[in-house]
Amino acid sequence: MKKTHIPKLDDFLGGGIPGGSSILFCAVPGVECEAFGYQIINGIIEDGDKGFIFTNVSEPINIVYEFSKYGWNLEQFLEEEKVFFVDGCSNFIGVPSMGKYSIDEFSQIEGVVLKAIDDIPDGIGVINNLSTLLDYLDDDKIIEIISKWNKRAKEKNTILVYIFTKWDYDPKIIENIKDSVDSVVSLTSIEERVIIGQGFMVTSASWTTPSKNLVLFFVLQPGGVKIYIPKILVTGPYNAGKTSFVKSISKKSVSVERMAMEKFPTTIAMDIGHVDHKGFVADVFGTPGQERFDLMLDVLAKEAVGAFILVDSTEPQTFARAKEMINKTQSEAIPKIIVANKQDLPGALSPEQIRETMKIDKSIPIIPTVVNENNGVEEALDVLLNLLYGD
Amino acid sequence: MIPCIESGIPGFDDLTKSESGMGGIPENSSTLVYGPAKTGKTIFSNQFAYQGLLNDEPCLYIMTDQGIKQLETMMFDFQRPINKFIEDNTLYTINTTSEGKPQKNENIVFSYINNPTDIMVKVSYGIKYVNKNNPRFRSVLDSSTTLLTYNENMLIVRVLKAYLMRINEAGGTSIITYTEDSADKKVETILKTMVNNIVRLDGKELTVEAMNGIGKRSSPYQITDEGLVI
Repeated sequence: MKKTHIPKLDDFLGGGIPGGSSILFCAVPGVECEAFGYQIINGIIEDGDKGFIFTNVSEPINIVYEFSKYGWNLEQFLEEEKVFFVDGCSNFIGVPSMGKYSIDEFSQIEGVVLKAIDDIPDGIGVINNLSTLLDYLDDDKIIEIISKWNKRAKEKNTILVYIFTKWDYDPKIIENIKDSVDSVVSLTSIEERVIIGQGFMVTSASWTTPSKNLVLFFVLQPGGVKIYIPKILVTGPYNAGKTSFVKSISKKSVSVERMAMEKFPTTIAMDIGHVDHKGFVADVFGTPGQERFDLMLDVLAKEAVGAFILVDSTEPQTFARAKEMINKTQSEAIPKIIVANKQDLPGALSPEQIRETMKIDKSIPIIPTVVNENNGVEEALDVLLNLLYGD
Repeated sequence: MIPCIESGIPGFDDLTKSESGMGGIPENSSTLVYGPAKTGKTIFSNQFAYQGLLNDEPCLYIMTDQGIKQLETMMFDFQRPINKFIEDNTLYTINTTSEGKPQKNENIVFSYINNPTDIMVKVSYGIKYVNKNNPRFRSVLDSSTTLLTYNENMLIVRVLKAYLMRINEAGGTSIITYTEDSADKKVETILKTMVNNIVRLDGKELTVEAMNGIGKRSSPYQITDEGLVI
């Protein structure tokens, strides 16, 4: 078993990647995926094994430069002959090739990579990028080549890491590619107009039953792939039930509140909770609802990936304030749902009536709840997570 | 009525006036600017980008055949200095030429012509960057020809599709340039189906071959000291 050196990924894969296995990083366009391959090979070489990088996306010299930006010294590994390039790029753009092997026509790729695998038993090879190969070769041919590479890698106990960007291909070919490797890690995005966050999830691994958690990550230069705990915002007008909502979705929570008019508590700074739901973890921040605390909204809302907008269904006069808070927390730009609280009280408006009164677009779900009785709370959580991560 | 943004090309907004009296480039649409080499496609794009910058609409500019220095020089030559916009972070450029790496500005980033995966990652960051201050922004990709030359055509078609979709979803208005006959006719046809508007430059005439709300229109143009003028 070799460590991937990607935080959390080893845990999900049951400790790492067994020698001779293949792993595919399958990314939505716009999500970073090369860093995964580079970080794995860098770590495994640091651990004392050998490796190669096949590139058809930029000249080796540029990859050396990219490594240096991450803070990794590929140049030294090259000098020490711990790693070599299979250069499938330079000859095609007419610059001198650099690498133990170089390719000048596509028919050579299969054989040259096989040779490279032979050269590094018990090592690691990174194939960057499979999608750039795909359009050059027939669909059947690419599957055949991957199978041959994987078979040879198995014999040599070498790990193969494939980098793949899921452009607009026939879903069938994507399925076939996924089926031809031992493990698939999907790289996805959370977006609403722009990509707000990037996440990875192990979707399959032949050697273990992977935990299918989605982990949000960002890529640092220097540093490489780092994970982070996303922030979810709970906002809405005064007395809509935000604190109760935070408490009810969180395993643990803390509120900074004080007695308003010495009768009931109101939040004066924030509520903080921690959600751990169906493999998803997030910190939850509840904002105060009163206007005099608005200066805090910006700070609390910073870098939130999703939002719950709480409204008191019996108080339509507060809906304008709810919309104002969506605005103030910049929640227009992130996935969000409206939690229509206090549905049990007389005079509560139905979700449809709320949609109409607030003029809320159909794409934003409105979930009826009675937060105090824990009614609809889990559904609200499911709906938001589904918006964030899809199916 | 289709809201339009100022094209930045003198005469173009009049040429494209619809019945409602509005002319220019339809907002949140995509435009293919194509024609033979040296007919002013880059100049057209530059003017479009510059007009946006003047109007406080940030710009994401993907350059595949010139570097940032060349862009600055060319803009300057046509009396459109852009250093101010580089300084105030409203112009975000992605360069695939290897000129002048590394850069200290966070809004001048580099990528590689053979690496659409990386280009697309940078586009995502770029959109987020320009979108931060103004949801209304412009985007220029000049030119798709270079991408097509250095990569398999079908791959680039997929990449452009992803690119246009992302800009569109983010609310931006985009221009892609393409040199006529530099790739298969088939690719050219696909490119035309992917965009909302098509503008052809042949050195003498500018023809709006397709644009929402108006029929085909054309007019002679010239390239002067102040750029492309209709």
